[in-house]
Amino acid sequence: MFVVLSPAHPDPMYKQVTDQIKDAIASGDLKPNDRLPSVRELSEALNVSAITIKRAYQDLETEGFILTRAGMGSFVAPVERDALRERKLAEVQEELRRLVRSSAKFGISAGDIARLARQIEGN
Amino acid sequence: MDTVLEATDLTKHYEDFSLRGVNVSVRRGSIAGIFGPNAAGKSTLLRMLAGQTPVPAGTLRVLDQSYADAERDLKNRVGYVPQEPVFYENKTVEWHARLAAPCFARWDGAAFHRLLEDFRVNPLKNVKHLSGGQKKLLSLALAFSHGAELLILDEPTAGLDIVHRRSLLDRLRALANAGDTTVVVASHITDGLDEIAEDITFLHDGRVVLRESADDLATKWKWVIYKEGSIDRAVEERFAGVRRQPFGSRGLTGDFPAVREALAPALASGDARLDHASLEDILLSFIKGA
Repeated sequence: MFVVLSPAHPDPMYKQVTDQIKDAIASGDLKPNDRLPSVRELSEALNVSAITIKRAYQDLETEGFILTRAGMGSFVAPVERDALRERKLAEVQEELRRLVRSSAKFGISAGDIARLARQIEGN
Repeated sequence: MDTVLEATDLTKHYEDFSLRGVNVSVRRGSIAGIFGPNAAGKSTLLRMLAGQTPVPAGTLRVLDQSYADAERDLKNRVGYVPQEPVFYENKTVEWHARLAAPCFARWDGAAFHRLLEDFRVNPLKNVKHLSGGQKKLLSLALAFSHGAELLILDEPTAGLDIVHRRSLLDRLRALANAGDTTVVVASHITDGLDEIAEDITFLHDGRVVLRESADDLATKWKWVIYKEGSIDRAVEERFAGVRRQPFGSRGLTGDFPAVREALAPALASGDARLDHASLEDILLSFIKGA
């Protein structure tokens, strides 16, 4: 599957970068203590503005996904994947709560949403 | 003449190295070659030209703008390949394209995949399984896929095999010939890039020691191969390098038009003949002389 993200995507660039790195950490492609390219290296290799990458790395660090040690670079934080799952679950729960509430106004039940979710997974 | 890049008096000091008063001017649709030995300052210069490092002194205009005012627009229009691109080792080639794509207004995913095919780089491979040359090709594919008008390529042929090097040189020449794309390459060896570069800048110890079009270089620089004693001593003394060989001496001149007349008799009698001076010969004479 090749998902093409684009500038037309509603999320800002740094967020799209952040999300992809988070996904890689959650899926185990990036493992705790893996060294990440520095802001400079990554912005050079991708020819992307350093500000975009810096913002993405800052957010990842604030959220505890990566650690930056002075003079040594950035590493994937030693967080258990279960902990990441818990965190994601809380995020999903919050989003679902909002979704269920707004859907109810249109007569769409939580059951309907669950059915839709299964359908999407099946695709 | 339409200039896409104009750098004046670029200067940058490091603890143990300085780039001093560098001027670069690049015409639209041309290929500019920046050559020089290791540690001459080429990568520093290219990183400045590509907006990867600030310009502490001097002025830099790229596509009539400055990185300070229009970084996002310029990053879209300038394709850059660093000397040693660093990627996420554990992630695939394709993943990196997904990371880069949203940052470019004119990203062309189909073109990127065609390039990978041409370059024989498997998009599903992890970067850690790519060779140095393949990492270079990945970096080139990224730079070629976002509709850049100006390509700034640091040692683009390094690590490439002869087939890929040749196809890269052909591609660069075709891009420049089409007129819309301008190419700046830097290299410490001439490696075929000397054949395609139309304007040559030679950087040595952080300074520009030679700036000339390839045509002018070819007119001015010649090897003179001559029988001992057949040419004027005054001319011989001005040769940049003389190699005495049993079958005749060889001297390099950097100003052939000025000595043409003095050499005319020996050339006419067959006691002397001329030979093409390669860029490597010319640059070596600068390094030895410096």
